[in-house]
Amino acid sequence: MEKLRKVWWLIPVVLIILYPVTIGGKSAYWSGILVFAGIYVILAVGLDLLMGFTGQISVGHAAFFAVGAYTSAVLTVKYGFSPLLAMFAGMFLSGTLAWVIGRPVLALKEYYLAMATLAFNEIIITLIVGFENITGGASGLRDIPPFGIFGLVLDNPLHYYYFVWAVVLMIIASSVLIIRSPFGRTLVAIHSDELAASTFGVDCAKYKTRVFVLANVFASIAGSLFAHYMGFIAPDDFGVSTSVNILVMLFLGGIGTIYGPILGAIFLKLLPEITYLVQDYELLLNGVILIIVLVFMPKGIYGIFMTLRNKAFARAGK
Amino acid sequence: MMEQDGVILKVVDVQKSFEGVHAVEHVSFSIKKGQIKALIGPNGAGKTTLLNAINGIMPPDSGHIFLLGQDLVGLRTDKIAFLGLSRTFQLVRMFSINNATVLDNVMLGAHMKLKPSLLESIFLRGKVEKEEKSAREKALELLKFVGLERAADTVPTALSFGNQRLVELARALMTEPRILLLDEPASGLNDAEVEDFTKLLLSIRDKGITILLVEHNMKLVMNIADDIVVLDFGKKLAEGSPQEICANPEVIEAYLGVTNKECDTII
Amino acid sequence: MGDISHLVQFFFSGLTTGSIYALIAVSLVIVYKVSQLICFSQGEFFIFGALIMVTLTSKGIPMPLAFVLSILIAMAIGALIQQVLIRPIQGSSIGALIVMTIAISLALRGLAMLIWGRESHILRPFTQGSPLQIFGATLQLQVFWIVGITAVILLLIWLFFEKTSLGIAMRACAENPLGASLMGISVQKTALFAWAWGSGIGALAGIAVAPLMFMQYTSGVMPMVKGFIAMSIGGLSSIVGSVIAGLLLGIIESYTIGVISSKFSDTIVFALLMVVLIARPNGLFSKS
Repeated sequence: MEKLRKVWWLIPVVLIILYPVTIGGKSAYWSGILVFAGIYVILAVGLDLLMGFTGQISVGHAAFFAVGAYTSAVLTVKYGFSPLLAMFAGMFLSGTLAWVIGRPVLALKEYYLAMATLAFNEIIITLIVGFENITGGASGLRDIPPFGIFGLVLDNPLHYYYFVWAVVLMIIASSVLIIRSPFGRTLVAIHSDELAASTFGVDCAKYKTRVFVLANVFASIAGSLFAHYMGFIAPDDFGVSTSVNILVMLFLGGIGTIYGPILGAIFLKLLPEITYLVQDYELLLNGVILIIVLVFMPKGIYGIFMTLRNKAFARAGK
Repeated sequence: MMEQDGVILKVVDVQKSFEGVHAVEHVSFSIKKGQIKALIGPNGAGKTTLLNAINGIMPPDSGHIFLLGQDLVGLRTDKIAFLGLSRTFQLVRMFSINNATVLDNVMLGAHMKLKPSLLESIFLRGKVEKEEKSAREKALELLKFVGLERAADTVPTALSFGNQRLVELARALMTEPRILLLDEPASGLNDAEVEDFTKLLLSIRDKGITILLVEHNMKLVMNIADDIVVLDFGKKLAEGSPQEICANPEVIEAYLGVTNKECDTII
Repeated sequence: MGDISHLVQFFFSGLTTGSIYALIAVSLVIVYKVSQLICFSQGEFFIFGALIMVTLTSKGIPMPLAFVLSILIAMAIGALIQQVLIRPIQGSSIGALIVMTIAISLALRGLAMLIWGRESHILRPFTQGSPLQIFGATLQLQVFWIVGITAVILLLIWLFFEKTSLGIAMRACAENPLGASLMGISVQKTALFAWAWGSGIGALAGIAVAPLMFMQYTSGVMPMVKGFIAMSIGGLSSIVGSVIAGLLLGIIESYTIGVISSKFSDTIVFALLMVVLIARPNGLFSKS
């Protein structure tokens, strides 16, 4: 049992690698869905580091999703940058911007922080819509080339699937490493009690800003992957409703667990496919799911899974 | 940078008011290195306010607080921690999000030593794991020191209040402080526990750590304090050895009461 | 002369939107004052009020009756939500509470879409008549209704909180729940009351402005956000501050759109919010 505990993560990885050779090989459509899911996993994991572990509420996580997507799109479409370079440019821009606004914004608490992040998300969207000469405005930007690395173009859905999930796995791995380290412990301390944390030498502002930058660089990466996958992006994809969508994933999966939000993101992105009731009920469903989760299962799907697992182990122990 | 006479902490004319009420008024005293100094007085006398001023959580309106010659007033709380000052809280402040355990709480005390870095957590894993290991060993040692090594993997809220205070003590000691501020650590402990606690404090003192102890338990105070400061309504009423304090009529009237058994054991 | 008529026009439209923002801000403040909660679902009560009114009048119910009914229905929904969804999780973290009100707003908006579809609906103005011409600017008659209703509501609220014993009790409840409950004031009833009135006023705002704009299921979002902005600028607990901030916001926004740029007016407004939050998180009008 102990050995299983250490290498259980290989199972999902193997599944991810094998998937296309089994079910997915026939259908580019499903590869596409899973690419989509992977992109949202990145967004959810980043937000979990910020909200679940460090306790900083953000209702505007899609802001840097937008920055990454539009930087990649504009640089590749209008200036002929290579997608890889454009993605790095997006990451740099996002990191810098997050660092600049991070400090003052993260000094705010609760409602004020929520409103500030919402406001910032809106600012980004209005700027994108306003500078239509560069961004295509409300009608969006099209003809975004597929992703390519050093001349190797990933226009095959299968290839892109592997690439995206390689990135996703790296981000998940990084996040888990961060959480299981003194850095992660410090974040939890900040979340629990900033006053006490600073009594033991924690510079709360510095650490909060660092997680904020990291989470938003992740969001930027997700944005770049999204732009090259879709080929066409519009401001609507990056508004507060998207940010709220990511919040739902967090709570549905189980906030503060990394694995929970992964489940939440995959579930919510697969759900429309399973139920066939896409747009009409999506809004209502989002709200109702979130309400049910908050009242009846505040620890999310992952929480339920852990409770069941602990019960099973307890019984096995007898 | 040591001051004259081996003084480690010098509180000079500290003043703090809240909405017109003087919580602390013109309070001055010094603590010598290696001393156990007690701060006593009735509820609302300003003792916790003073501790909060020293550790930077609520800076004073005016005055100075010198730690080895460096003025703490105006410094951020985390910077003050780096100067070697640590504390426990009257109403215990445990880290409890995401099922943080007692061990996690104590290990946070290593933050200043480990200086966690985002990049190192990912790319220099070997170094991080090694540092974690030695921090964990030290934390377990400290938990053993306060008698709670078996509680290492429980959540703090599962422990009694008294035990949570001991966890706080272990956490504060983890920072390897020069001076330790304790806010009513013995409150809620019975006589046997107070005796054990007294031994703990003496052990800490023997390691060379100076202690500023805010306490209501007079037996503990009289047994262990080298020197006592008495606060009443925010003002310093008296300062001196236990014998002097017990003989001070103003102190007796304001706080100790005429029939005080603890004083009898000294005089 | 043309310039003056433009400026006057901007003032009128600013006054109109400003009154709406003020009403929404006040409804938010009432809920916050009493239950320490910011209701992210307020925008949905705004559209529910308007859309219910549209449905009722289209069925032939006379306007005054439809008016009262719409508000009562909105209040009932608000009270129901408070009892069933907010009260059970009262003790949760603020993050969870914030997310819950967001969830409620999503559910309500989704419901609105299912009931009223994606189309826009329009309500007949309260009184028929051609708009007035003042200094060359056009002033719709409905604006008088909006400003008038706003003024009356605000006066009633002010009187309620300052002069009636129940209102004073509610304020006491907000400032010191324990003390208030010791004096026999039911904290639960007060919260319920506040939510009902908050949603009622939100619905009222929606009904009042419905004749001037096309209402669809997403129309509540921006007014709510602007109401927040007004509340943040004016101080979370200050009714007077929020009103002034709401009116100012409407007027500033109107001039910004008209004189500077309509593309970036929202950017400026949101940037203003961020500046206010960072510089004075307690609002411009509060003591600290």
